[in-house]
Amino acid sequence: MHCVHTFDLGNSAPLTEEAFRAFLRETSTGADRLLALFAEESSSGPFLLHAVAGGGAPGRFLHACMETSPRSFRTFTDVCPGTHWFEREIYDLFGLVPESHPELNPLRFHEAWPKKFFPLRSANAPAPDARRGYRFLVVRGEGIHEVAVGPVHAGIIEPGHFRFSCAGETIQNLEIRLGYQHKGIESLFPGAPGVGKILLSESISGDTAVGHSTACARLLEAITGKPAPAPAERWRAVALEIERISNHCGDLGGLATDIGYLFGAAHFGRLRGAALNLLLKITGNRFGRGLNRIGGIGPGVPGIAPEDFPAVLVPLQAEVEKTGTTMLDAPSVISRMEGTGRLLPHTAKTLQFVGMTARASGRDIDARRDFPSPAYVDSAPANVLLDAGDVMARAGIRFMEMRASFEWLSGILAGAAPPGAIAAEGIVAGAGRRLVVSVEEGWRGEIVHAAVVEDGGRITRYKVVDPSFRNWPALSFAVQKNVISDFPVCNKSFNLSYSGADL
Amino acid sequence: MFESIRKRVRTGKVTMGLPAGDLPSPFRGMPEIGEAFRTGGAAATCAKACATEAIDPEKKTIDLGRCVFCGLCEEACGGEGIRFTRDPRLPSGKREHLVLGGREIPPLTAAPDVRSLLGRSLHLREVSAGGCNGCDLEAQALGNPVYDLQRFGIDFVASPRHADGLLVTGPVSKNMRDALVKTYEAISEPRIVIAIGACAATGGIFRDSYAVENGVGGVLPVDLIIPGCPPHPLTLLYAMLAFLGKNPL
Repeated sequence: MHCVHTFDLGNSAPLTEEAFRAFLRETSTGADRLLALFAEESSSGPFLLHAVAGGGAPGRFLHACMETSPRSFRTFTDVCPGTHWFEREIYDLFGLVPESHPELNPLRFHEAWPKKFFPLRSANAPAPDARRGYRFLVVRGEGIHEVAVGPVHAGIIEPGHFRFSCAGETIQNLEIRLGYQHKGIESLFPGAPGVGKILLSESISGDTAVGHSTACARLLEAITGKPAPAPAERWRAVALEIERISNHCGDLGGLATDIGYLFGAAHFGRLRGAALNLLLKITGNRFGRGLNRIGGIGPGVPGIAPEDFPAVLVPLQAEVEKTGTTMLDAPSVISRMEGTGRLLPHTAKTLQFVGMTARASGRDIDARRDFPSPAYVDSAPANVLLDAGDVMARAGIRFMEMRASFEWLSGILAGAAPPGAIAAEGIVAGAGRRLVVSVEEGWRGEIVHAAVVEDGGRITRYKVVDPSFRNWPALSFAVQKNVISDFPVCNKSFNLSYSGADL
Repeated sequence: MFESIRKRVRTGKVTMGLPAGDLPSPFRGMPEIGEAFRTGGAAATCAKACATEAIDPEKKTIDLGRCVFCGLCEEACGGEGIRFTRDPRLPSGKREHLVLGGREIPPLTAAPDVRSLLGRSLHLREVSAGGCNGCDLEAQALGNPVYDLQRFGIDFVASPRHADGLLVTGPVSKNMRDALVKTYEAISEPRIVIAIGACAATGGIFRDSYAVENGVGGVLPVDLIIPGCPPHPLTLLYAMLAFLGKNPL
């Protein structure tokens, strides 16, 4: 199985700080990329930092861990800038201070919380340093002014606070303060009953219920040794691609709204609904809730016979093609989106951004190719790569990914590529203390679920990495030197999940 | 230009008429309680399968305020105890209206003064307070050409100063409590609060997490709760129209 991996923790000694640092440096420069960095308070006492990387070759997973003092560790941002938010998160949840971190503002906890509240730090651990308190970056200079937006925004969207420092209309700096959607999901996972964990994963980010629940289900299957049969894996992949199409349609509609292109807004809004309604026909829910169970898919899934698919899929594909080409060829659309909100390939690579955001800035990573699930082993949707990194590229990549998904779907539903004969390979119930990692390419980018499992199968630490968590800083870079009135279209071009980042 | 005009003409009208009827299988809508649930052991079986403690095996009730419509109870009892129908209309109202299987409670409509004041033009400010964004997306979908909420005189506005009420999603995270209360206070009276989804009703799947308030009810006076996880746009539409006394049925 290329998308799930189990590491034996019982027989592997933690690395030295220096070796752990070298491991992280390697993820910044080498072929294998960082997937997650998280802390754990082990039952035997010490705090552990776990780093997971991979993807340099299909299905390659790497793991490193080190022990840290119960108070602090030296920041890794100097050798691996992609750890920036991970380290802030570790401080929020465990009270471990990343020393010399460039910006140790809390991600999750606002002023109303007690200064020494660290939800995943047990009472047995020594009292932590309390350095909590939020400081916005202040930009100084003649005519610099600040614009504060949120947490409650004008539209029907999730809450977050944006602080712009502008010279005239031009954005010099955007600081993004999140945490408003924090609901303590990771703390709920260990105690949730079996399939209850899958329900929880469906609510990590409402628009990525299929992606998250699939990653979660495979992780639980690797723990219990109950692999999903090949047809179930096929339906998971089908649902995942339809989820991708629905969200890409919705985003193109949203981009059209933000530039006042009503044709695109109305049609893509409707086409998104058509894709959601197809998910409803498969799973019973417009967002694909109910798709996954441990060891397979729900008993009513799919609610639609494979031979009935073309009747829905073919007209949807034709309409997406027509609407997309009309929109992306329209001069008024091009003039607003080209050159706007540019995320440079160098930035995307250095900060290890993921998913279609990274692919629109020339970073060639895709978990469907690098960590293929059984249905993608023989044929995954074609890989799409652009390098302009602007709003136009992020719109274009959505359109091209939809094309690739439609093509893959029609092939797989026609039985052209019978997938997943090896679904069960490598899935056996493990023993001893271990770390299980599961990766799936959601529509925004790679979703990582990781669990520390004790002998007997009890989960003691559950880590979720939503692609939004990786990509939020990208928005700050993209809007620099843009006019503030272009912020909405820049923001929409990333369309990051607040809930997925805040957990 | 001509392309977009041609596409517009060819597409024609897409707005959905009401009543819309049942949704396609396997949609999980209004649950139906079977005899085996009321009198037999099915209630215990269903309660054991439920991940959100929505089913009370003693009182033989199912609480839609907690239900996330996952269908696990129906799978466990083979449909003998609880069976989800394809009907998107769900009982909505105060907390007690959401508990099925007990004594019948007449459906809730808005007080006459609220109805006469807001029944023909209701403007809502939406606040997302700690949810997963699923309910927000379905509230947003109400504005698309298919559901077209505006034809009923209901619309979402950008400022609480322009609003007659709040539509709240999510369990109310501790970090959003303050912003939610301030948004509510910025609305002039009379004002109404509509809470949508299991999270906003009771905390839903996140109930009793350290970071949430277990629903809107503990923070603001709620006039209407609409269950679901997330509620289908039609569920929202039916419930709001019924509340305003504009039932299309």
